[in-house]
Amino acid sequence: MIGWIGGFLCCLQCLAQELPQLTFTPQWLPQAQFAGYYVAQKKGFYKAEGLDVRIVHPSPSVNSVEYLRNEQSDITTQFLTSAFAFRDAGVDLVNIAQISQNSALLFVSKKEKGIMELSDLNGKKIGIWRSGFDEVAREIIKSNNYQVQWVPVLNTVNLFLSGYLDAMTVMWYNEYDQIIQSGVNEEELNRIFFSDCGFNIPEDGLYCLNKTLIQRGDDLLKFVRATLKGWEYAKENKEETLSIVLEEMKKNHVPTNKAHQAWMLDKVLLMIDPGSKNVKKGELAESDFVKTQNMLFEAGNIKARTAFKEFYKPVMKNK
Amino acid sequence: MKIQFNMNKSLSLRIAVYVLSFCMLLFLLVLLVFFFFSRKQIEEMTLKNAEIITSKSAMDVERTILPIIRVAQNYKWILENKQQSSAELYEMTRQVVENNPDVIGSAIAFEPNFFEKEGLYFSPYSYRENDSIKSMQLGNASYDYFYMDWYQIPVATGKSGWSEPYHDTGGGNSLMTTYSVPFYKNVNNEKKIAGVITFDLSLNKFTDSVSSLKILETGYATVLSANGTFVTHPKKELIMNQTIFSYASEINNPELREIGRIIQKENSGYVSSTLNGVERMLYFKKLSSSNWSIAVVFPKSEMYLPLHKISIILIVLVCIGLLLLAVIVSKIISRQIIPLRHFAGSAREIAKGNFSNQLPLIKRNDELKDLHNSFEYMQRKLTQYIEDLKQTAIAKEKIESELRIAREIQMGMIPKIFPPFPNLIEIDLYATLHPAKEVGGDLYDFFMLDENHICFAIGDVSGKGVPASLFMAVTRTLLRSVAPDQMTTRGIVNSLNKSLSTNNDSNMFVTFFLGIIELNTGIMTYTNAGHNPPVLIHPNGEVKAFEMTKDIPVGVFETFEYEEKTLRLSDNDKLFLYTDGVTEAENKEEEFYSEKRLITMLSKNYSLTPKDLISVVSGDVALHVNENEQSDDITMLSIVYYGSKR
Repeated sequence: MIGWIGGFLCCLQCLAQELPQLTFTPQWLPQAQFAGYYVAQKKGFYKAEGLDVRIVHPSPSVNSVEYLRNEQSDITTQFLTSAFAFRDAGVDLVNIAQISQNSALLFVSKKEKGIMELSDLNGKKIGIWRSGFDEVAREIIKSNNYQVQWVPVLNTVNLFLSGYLDAMTVMWYNEYDQIIQSGVNEEELNRIFFSDCGFNIPEDGLYCLNKTLIQRGDDLLKFVRATLKGWEYAKENKEETLSIVLEEMKKNHVPTNKAHQAWMLDKVLLMIDPGSKNVKKGELAESDFVKTQNMLFEAGNIKARTAFKEFYKPVMKNK
Repeated sequence: MKIQFNMNKSLSLRIAVYVLSFCMLLFLLVLLVFFFFSRKQIEEMTLKNAEIITSKSAMDVERTILPIIRVAQNYKWILENKQQSSAELYEMTRQVVENNPDVIGSAIAFEPNFFEKEGLYFSPYSYRENDSIKSMQLGNASYDYFYMDWYQIPVATGKSGWSEPYHDTGGGNSLMTTYSVPFYKNVNNEKKIAGVITFDLSLNKFTDSVSSLKILETGYATVLSANGTFVTHPKKELIMNQTIFSYASEINNPELREIGRIIQKENSGYVSSTLNGVERMLYFKKLSSSNWSIAVVFPKSEMYLPLHKISIILIVLVCIGLLLLAVIVSKIISRQIIPLRHFAGSAREIAKGNFSNQLPLIKRNDELKDLHNSFEYMQRKLTQYIEDLKQTAIAKEKIESELRIAREIQMGMIPKIFPPFPNLIEIDLYATLHPAKEVGGDLYDFFMLDENHICFAIGDVSGKGVPASLFMAVTRTLLRSVAPDQMTTRGIVNSLNKSLSTNNDSNMFVTFFLGIIELNTGIMTYTNAGHNPPVLIHPNGEVKAFEMTKDIPVGVFETFEYEEKTLRLSDNDKLFLYTDGVTEAENKEEEFYSEKRLITMLSKNYSLTPKDLISVVSGDVALHVNENEQSDDITMLSIVYYGSKR
C-alpha cells in the first residue's frame, strides 16, 4: 500500500518535471510593449518548445530585476541603459537577446513653446522620468552643452499637459500617445527623436542572471526562440495580437484602451526591426553596445566598463 | 335615366373631390406650419431642458465641493499665517475628514525637509477606514509624494485643482479625485511654496447621480475629466479606461475628437455629431472648481418623438375627418341636386309634349327656384306657342287646300287632252305646263277658230303664284272670248292688251305669243308680244329660232299696236314654243339651261313627234337642273304641220 502511494507521488513528480517552468517578468505592467511574449504564450509557442512559461508582472514600485535577484523570476526585459546600470551596481545581469533595436524616445513639446530643434531646449524646463530611462536624454543635453532644468515626473503626462513644462521626454509608443489621447493634436506638437540626434540606442532586451544562463541555457534558448516567433506572429496578426494584449491587461486589472494599445503595438513592432543595422532580429550590435557603454561611462552613470562578451551572451548563438 | 343618375352622382362626387382636395391642401399647410414651429419649439425646449439638467447636476457637485473649498481656504490661511505643531496638523486633517462625509482622506503635505526634525517627507494624513478615522504620515521612499500629480502639479503651477480620477487603493471600486490647494510661507520675507493641502473625494455620489440622469428615451449624461477621461458613462468599459479622444480613435470618429477638444476649451455649449450612426446632440458644462465637464448626449431624433406621435394622431384624425367630410359633402350635394334630377325628368316629359307635367316643388328661394320659374315659363310659352302653331297649321292647311283647288281650276283651264284634234290630219300638237308653285303664271292654249284655222298661244305672266295665276286665268279667258271676234293675231293681241291694261293696278303683264295656222295652206300668222322667240324645225333637221320681237308684253300700254307677221309652213315643219322657265332653268351652280342647249337638243331630235320632243327636252332640262329646286314655271308647246294633202 505504502509502496503504491510512493509510486503515485513519484509519477506526479515525473509529470511536473516534463515541462520545465520558466518565469518571465516584463519590466512594466501588461501592455502592447510585451505583445510578443503574450502571443507566444497564448498561441502555445512556449509550450511547443517544451516550456511552461509563467508571465508575472512586477508591481509598479518594484523593478523587475529585483524579481530576478529574489529568484521570483528567471528572465526579464530591461532597457539597455538600465541593464548597464544594474551590472554596474553589481547585479550579474546578462543580455541573452536584444529585442528592440531602436530608440523610441523623443522630446515632445507644444508648438506654442517654440521648440523646433534640439538647440531650442537650452534653458528650458524638461520633464524626465524619475525612475530611470533618463540617461540618454541627459547625455544628449550634456553632449550639446545645453543648460536645462530637469523636472522629474513619475508616470503621467499631466504636468506636461498643465503647460508647466516646456518639453518632456516621452516614449513614442506610450506617453506620446497619452498626450494625443488627452486632446492635444499631433499637429500641435513638435517632436525631437533621440534617434535623429545620433542616439539611436536600442531599448528592450531580454536579461537574466548569469547563473541562470549557466544552469538553464537550453530553456532560455527555447524561450528566446518562441519569443521571436511570438513577435513575428504579432507583426503578421495585429488585430489578434491586440485582443490578446487587451485580454492580458483585463486579467491583470490594468485599464484597457484599445486605441492606445494599437498605437503602442504599431510603434513597438517598428522598434524591433533592425533596419540598416548590421544585425539580425534579436541580436545586439556591438557598435550599439560600445556607444551606449561609452555614453554611460563618460556620463558617470557607470563606474566601470564591461567586455561585450561579458555583457551579451546570446542564447541563440550558443547553440 | 341611368345616365342622368350617374351624372348626378359624378357631380356630387366631383364637388366632394374638389372640397376634399382643398381641405387636404389646407390641412397639409397647417400641418407643415405646425410641424415647423413645434419642431423649433421642441428643439428649444429640449435643449433648455438638457441645459437645466446639466446645470443642476453641476450645481449638486458644486454644493458638495463648496464647503470643502471653504475649508481649504481656511486651512490655507491658517497654514500660511500660523505655526502649528505636528499634532495640530494631524488634527486638522482628521477634523476635515470627520466633518465632511464626502472627504475620504485629507493630507497636509509639506515640501522636502520643510521641518528639520521631520526629515525629507512630512505629510500628516487622515483617512476614513470603515467607520473610524485613522491618521498617518504619508510620505516615504516608496511613496515619494513630491512627484505625485496631486502634489507636483499644484506646486508647479501654483493653482488649486482636481487630480485626474483614480481608483481608491483602499479597496472597493470607489472612484476618487484629489482636490489640491498649494500653500505658501514667508521665509526671509520671501513667499515660498510650503506644501499642498489635499482632500480625497469619493466620486461615487456624483457619478451615481449623473449616471441616473435620463434625457428623452436613450439620452444619458457623462462626466469627463480634464484630460477627457470618462469618469461616468453608460458603457462601463469606457470608465477610466478611455478618454473621449482614445474612444474617438477607437471608433474612428475624428468629429468626436473635435467635440472633446471643444469641451476642453469651452465652458459650456451645444455640439451635434453623428455618433455610432446616430445623429446626437450634446450639451456640456464645465464644473467651475475644475476642468471637468458634465455632458448630456441624446439622439436628435428622440427630440421629435412626441411631435411625431402627435403628428401621426393628427394625420389619422384628419384623414378620418376628411373621409367623413367627403361622405357628408357628397350626401348633401346629392340631396341638393335631387330637384335637378326631377327637372331633368320634367324636361323629358316636356320634350314628349306633356307641357302640363307637374314640376318639382321648390320651397327655397335660390337658383333652383329660378330654374323652376324658368321651367314654368317655358312650359307656359311652349303651350301657347304650340296652340298658335296649331292655328297657323290649320290656316295653312286651308290655304294649301284652296291652292290645290286653284291649281286644279287653273290646270282645268288649259287643254290637256292629247291629241286634241284626232280627226285633224294636218297637224299634231302637244303641250305641257309645270308650275314652279301650286299655281303658276304660264299659260298655253289652242283651239279651232273655224274648220281651217287653228289658233295657239303661249304666255308668261310677270311674277309667280296666285296673282300670276289669276292674271293668267284672266288672259286665257279673254283670249277665248276675243278670238272669235277678231280672227287675226294682231286683233286678238291688241284686244287682249286693251282689256288687260285697263285698270291694271297691280301693273302685271304677260309675254304672249299667238299664232293662227291656216290648215289648207300652212300659212301661219303670228304676233309676238315680248315672248321668247319660238323655234322652227324643218323636217331636214334645220332648226331656226324666230327673230326677236320688238313688241312689248301685253298689259303694259293700253294703246300699243302689235304687229302681225306671216310665215308659210312647209309640210312636216315643226314649231317649238316655250317659256323662259326652260332656258332659264338653273342648276346648283346657277347655270342656265340656255337657248343654245335647247337648240342643240332640238337639232338632235328634230324628227320626233311633239310629244316625244317635249318629253326629251323635259328630260334634258331635268338633267341639267338635277336636284335643284324648280324656280320658274316650265311650259312647252310643239306643233307639227303635216300638210294639207295627207
